[in-house]
Amino acid sequence: MKGVLLFAFNTDEVDYVKMAYATSQRVNNFLNLPCTLVTNKPTDYKFDKVTYLDSDSTNIKNHKVWLNKGRYNAYNLSPYDETLLLDVDYVVNSTKLLDVFSFYEDYCIHNSASFLMYPDFTQECISPISFRTLWATVFFFKKTERVKLFFDCVKMVQENYTHYANLHGMWSYLYRNDHAFAIANRILNGHIESKCDFIPWNLIHIGEKTTVEKDKNNSFKVILDNDKKEYIIVKDLDFHMLDKKNFMRLFCE
Amino acid sequence: MNVENLLYESKIRFNHNLAKHYLKEKYQSKLIFANQGGLWKADQPLLSLLVSGASKKFILLDLNENPVKVDRAELFQKTLDIYHEVMEAWHQEWEELRNKR
Repeated sequence: MKGVLLFAFNTDEVDYVKMAYATSQRVNNFLNLPCTLVTNKPTDYKFDKVTYLDSDSTNIKNHKVWLNKGRYNAYNLSPYDETLLLDVDYVVNSTKLLDVFSFYEDYCIHNSASFLMYPDFTQECISPISFRTLWATVFFFKKTERVKLFFDCVKMVQENYTHYANLHGMWSYLYRNDHAFAIANRILNGHIESKCDFIPWNLIHIGEKTTVEKDKNNSFKVILDNDKKEYIIVKDLDFHMLDKKNFMRLFCE
Repeated sequence: MNVENLLYESKIRFNHNLAKHYLKEKYQSKLIFANQGGLWKADQPLLSLLVSGASKKFILLDLNENPVKVDRAELFQKTLDIYHEVMEAWHQEWEELRNKR
């Protein structure tokens, strides 16, 4: 059975569960897949399944609690044989993700990203002295022994993050799933980069200083926040919205 | 130097390049497909290679850099079909964007 898993823990600032609900609606619409929510409190929003997990509030980003830890539980919590683990701010706007179900034996993840309105973006590394960031925004996996090892490895990295931060020259005070997944993938592949685990197209970010508005049907107007207000119309393309407030205005009001 | 003209030209080229970037991101992903145990991109180099071969079976490196023995005619036809379908849509949207600007 195939399905989508969404982790959402509300904070004082952001209603991540509401975002997850909006994302689940788009998943149903474009991918026709069931969605399971992983959260820490009961919710009135309807999902195919809701699973509970205590949130870990030890991570601080911009002086605020960031409840992003515990993603390694995805393997045990997913009710599906084949799972797409998505960040709740990923906008499903095409059927493209269905391809990953037929492309991979174990798991796959984006190793390259592109900012839609900033074509000259250079790929991010986990630190200036280490390897490329992998983007945990979209992670596909099957329930295999290798995938179990991968998630066990993510758990090990999370629990010993200061050590891995020292080893790779990263900042230790901010835990990022992107970095933990990148390190775990590297370890699992014998510390060598393996193309076999990478989604062969870019993850599209829509970042700061960019506003997204609804256009018509499933198209969006993406506008640069500069004097000239350059824009493009985006349709039939998924994207990851870094601006949570913009996401809430678009899909949750 | 006329600065107004320069700014105008710069803005036009910026919009043009932004649209190109968007279409490239969108359609390149649609060129990727799985066939005969390999992962392929239906692009011009793959088509050229497949059309130039003479033997029925052909060994090619796929996107994961694994050598895969394929039925050349089958992969060629699949590649050609996807290439035509995606490039037709890419071209059509490109023309629409150009005309709008």
